[in-house]
Amino acid sequence: MEPALAWIVLGLPLLGAATLAAWPSEPPRSMTRVLGVGPMVVSFLLTAWLYVQMLGENSDDRLVVSRVWEWIEIGDLSIDVALQVDPLSVMMMLVVTGVGSLIFIYSTEYMEHDRDYRRFFAEMGFFVFSMLLLVLAANFLFLIVGWALVGLASYLLIGFYYEKPPAVAAAKKAFIINVIGDLAMVIAAFILVVELGTLNYLLVFEAAPDGLGRGAVEAVTILLFVGAAAKSAQVPLHTWLPDAMEGPTPVSALIHAATMVTAGVYLIVRTHELYELAPYASDLVAITGAVTLFLAATIATVQVDVKRVLAWSTISQIGYMIMAAGLGAYGAAMYHLMTHAFFKALLFLSIGMVIHGLAGAQSLDRMGGLGRHLKFAYVATAIGVLAISGVPGTAGFFSKDEILASAWDAGDLGRVLWLVGALAAGITAFYMFRLLFRTFSGPEPEGGYGVHPQPSRWPMAAPVAVLAVLSLWGGWIQVPRGWTWIIDWLEPVIGRESIPGQQAELVTLATSIAVVAIGAAAAWWIFAVDPARPKRLAGRLVATRRLLEDQFRFDHVYDRAVVGPTRDLAEYLYRRMESGFVDGLVRGAISLARGSAMGLRAAQNGLVRTYVFVMISGVVGLGALLAWVVTR
Amino acid sequence: MPMVTAIILLPLAAALALAIPDTSRMQARIIALLAAGLSFAMVVSLTVRLDRDAAGLQFVDQHSWVSDAALQWAVGVDGISIWLLLLTSGIVLLGLIATAWRPPEREVGFLAAMLAGEAGLLGLFAAADLVVFYIFWEAMLVPFFFLIGMWGSEGRVFATTKFIIYTMVGSLPMLVAILATAFIAQDTTGQLTFTISELRGVSFTETQSTWLFAGFALAFAIKVPVWPFHGWLPDAYRAAPLVVTAVLAAVMSKAGVYGLIRIGVPTFPDGAENFAIILSVLALVGIIYGSLVAWRAPTMRMLVGYSSLAHLGFIVLGIMAFDIQAGQGAVLQMVNHGLVVAAAFLIIGLINRGTAGDHIDRIGGIAAGAPRLAVVFLFVSMAALAIPGSNAFVGEFFILTGVFRHHVWIAVLATIGVVLAAVYMLRLYQTAMNGPAFGANSRAIELRPVDYVVLSPLVGAMLVIALWPASIVGSTRAPVAQAVAPAQIAAERPADQIERPVVPNPPPEALPLPGDEPPIDEVPAPAVGEEASP
Repeated sequence: MEPALAWIVLGLPLLGAATLAAWPSEPPRSMTRVLGVGPMVVSFLLTAWLYVQMLGENSDDRLVVSRVWEWIEIGDLSIDVALQVDPLSVMMMLVVTGVGSLIFIYSTEYMEHDRDYRRFFAEMGFFVFSMLLLVLAANFLFLIVGWALVGLASYLLIGFYYEKPPAVAAAKKAFIINVIGDLAMVIAAFILVVELGTLNYLLVFEAAPDGLGRGAVEAVTILLFVGAAAKSAQVPLHTWLPDAMEGPTPVSALIHAATMVTAGVYLIVRTHELYELAPYASDLVAITGAVTLFLAATIATVQVDVKRVLAWSTISQIGYMIMAAGLGAYGAAMYHLMTHAFFKALLFLSIGMVIHGLAGAQSLDRMGGLGRHLKFAYVATAIGVLAISGVPGTAGFFSKDEILASAWDAGDLGRVLWLVGALAAGITAFYMFRLLFRTFSGPEPEGGYGVHPQPSRWPMAAPVAVLAVLSLWGGWIQVPRGWTWIIDWLEPVIGRESIPGQQAELVTLATSIAVVAIGAAAAWWIFAVDPARPKRLAGRLVATRRLLEDQFRFDHVYDRAVVGPTRDLAEYLYRRMESGFVDGLVRGAISLARGSAMGLRAAQNGLVRTYVFVMISGVVGLGALLAWVVTR
Repeated sequence: MPMVTAIILLPLAAALALAIPDTSRMQARIIALLAAGLSFAMVVSLTVRLDRDAAGLQFVDQHSWVSDAALQWAVGVDGISIWLLLLTSGIVLLGLIATAWRPPEREVGFLAAMLAGEAGLLGLFAAADLVVFYIFWEAMLVPFFFLIGMWGSEGRVFATTKFIIYTMVGSLPMLVAILATAFIAQDTTGQLTFTISELRGVSFTETQSTWLFAGFALAFAIKVPVWPFHGWLPDAYRAAPLVVTAVLAAVMSKAGVYGLIRIGVPTFPDGAENFAIILSVLALVGIIYGSLVAWRAPTMRMLVGYSSLAHLGFIVLGIMAFDIQAGQGAVLQMVNHGLVVAAAFLIIGLINRGTAGDHIDRIGGIAAGAPRLAVVFLFVSMAALAIPGSNAFVGEFFILTGVFRHHVWIAVLATIGVVLAAVYMLRLYQTAMNGPAFGANSRAIELRPVDYVVLSPLVGAMLVIALWPASIVGSTRAPVAQAVAPAQIAAERPADQIERPVVPNPPPEALPLPGDEPPIDEVPAPAVGEEASP
């Protein structure tokens, strides 16, 4: 195995981005395409090669730490610039560069009409670099660096249309919530440095069982989870992700669905040695995941903006992964992370074809009946909907059921969470089929479409086709009672994971098929059978709908309880303390000085003997003071 | 060749040369740039030749002047001060280049004052003697007084008055403290000296130590400034020409923190220990207060100025933690803050080229017309808010790690300042750069070749530190460990955290108790042995 490959994979996207950024003027579009997509695809191919090489190794030899230089030695803490290449990081690299390549190819066409073509690819390349750094880092410090840099890339791309105030505001919100998460992780790192004297993964995991007290390990894991929750949009730090949909759709697909937002799951799996020592933190993680997946699913049912429906579904699906990770089913969490990357990227890209075809319209109210015009997008979206709903045989079916079955086996708490997860699976089917029906079937919207829907060309269609195949068949790499490729692959990192029992499998299978059927049927009955029915039903459940449309008023509470008071305090400090108190004090002192100067003018009588007298008495006074200080 | 002396005197000589009447503007520019450039080059050569593992001063240049009064010229550098010399000479050189392109009125005088100010700062950072330190501390004020008073904008008279009064309030007690230190030390060691390294290890009583530390600390706290001694800062930063503001914020603010780690903490460990919590809490208040006020500040300069108050709070926290990691982080952060804040003020200067005023809310959307500037500004903003991966993050991370080791809650509360930094820096960046374009002629703002000359060294230095912080941190370990060791002992820290032994002055076997009759050199050395032998 050649760890240098990992450095090349990491460096190429950055090189492409830097070249684009340094280009003296807007380069020709073909050049931008080459510099944008080229490094991405090469990175993917090299990652695939690395994967093949790793397959040839014994499972004990699949972990390599590649160090290039000592970054810092401070006090007795030493930190290297180093990458950890192991099955977990290679799996993440495959997802990031693989799905990333497809989305980059798609973007060449999607962003064709945009003025800032070069900036788009430069920022996307920077994102991929940061994400790879995040998954490849061999210590907590560079994990945090990658963590923050993906946040920066996400900030830049959410605010890509920087002349639009909502985009700018959304970018800022995402950035600040992520800074809060970063800081929690930084504090966790403080604890590790102080208690263990190292930030190196392997050394920390080795020393943790003896070196960290019970309280310290719970604190570290909870703080790391705060970082994970901020990045992965878990309640209560989730409010930035729906707003992040202000970014271009390929950005939403890559960063806010397939890769960056799942970093929290990666983090928990990466540090599972610590979570295994921290039962309370693990329960907190699982419960947070369950709460999130349920709340987000309910909110998704009433969203009108297509991208926001998908955003809430992303939050909900990550909730499943986080729940699994909290319950110790790390393999299941990573499995769902991978299949989710396929079907969620597929959904965003196929819905992106619709948005592109309608020249930017995103509201469900401006859609309907599009299946007649955009057949390819219709089929692709339908496949994505089947996969995310967990219709048997699709990718989401296998991975989601594995999470639920693991929950069933995980004690009393697990049973409760199983119930929540199963219920939400039905809601998921409901809102996804709602999205499908309201977009593609039924009559055209009143007033018609803004523009005539345009089908997409091959650079957009081809990646969507690949993702559709993966969403349909990608789940077959791990089949209950059949084979367990994901768990086998990850074994060197997460250890031998127990497989859910037969009872759990069967109960989950039956339940999930039933709830998905009910959810899909309900959506069909409300939105597809009779076009007038949604209007007739609008009068029911007004208060509930209102609450869901307000997204349980998290934003409102934060504004009232945190942002508002802080701003008032700052305003008060600036207006009163700075201009009033501190400044007033000084002005007072100055006028006092002026006044005494007037008095002292009398002393300035021009007589040398007065001056000499004053000088001598001053020296004597000073000397007396010194003598007093010295002798006491 | 006495390099350190030459580094200090070269700008001073150039400043005097410019004072010759009838110097033409072109001559003045050449002289100024040559002197500053040569001085910078010499600092670079010292940096390369420095022994990075040594704790004491190197390249020491010591000449006795009035030996009876122990007056001398003594300068030198170590792994801490070398970076401040590099920062000072580099920033002033860049400032002079920027000035040459946009010359102010009475340019010759301006250049002379800048050079004199540089000499003052260099001398301060290189001083190995308390009197030399004090002279440069005071002398530095004169050129800055004129720079603000003569080339400043509206409110400059008030600003200079305030600046001078504040500084004098601090420096007079410091003068008293310097004299008292020397005299008290003479009583214990029998030798009058102002040499800083010789005063270390002198055992002052706790009361003496406390009062002497207080005398120094007040001057340092005003200079930094530490909240609530920052009253002079907004006015001075507002009134001074932008290049001068950049030098004030980037370099002069380091005089105070440098004094703390060079003189205050190592010489008066008991006093420093008594004030540790007070100063740390004040620094913490400054971090949060400065960040909040920066968020609401109406102009770009004020915003960056108040952010300085917050950032310097981190440095003070790091020094007062008496922790090697935190101390090394603090020294690194002195350099980082200098680079970042200088770049920020220079960028504000560029923005002012195309705007009517400095008000944040009256401009917007500059990025569309000035994309290159937007990239550089974003880079600097990210460094200012210390995003992980930036140079400033390295400094803040290790400062807070060290603080966390001893005062968990101070470190945790200080992180609030980091969140607020993101809030105010994004306010600055986004309102100026993003949104619909108005209020600014962005074509006039876009980077020009000369702007690259001035900004790229700063950006390049930030990148180098981010990728390889060991370059700076590696040389600070021994001097920082030596500087904090006495205070660590005073604070009763575990032995494994203390790296350097404290050498008492005078050595214990030669120590006559205060009030002992025989002067030190008459104590018969064998007497100790005689007592021990029977």
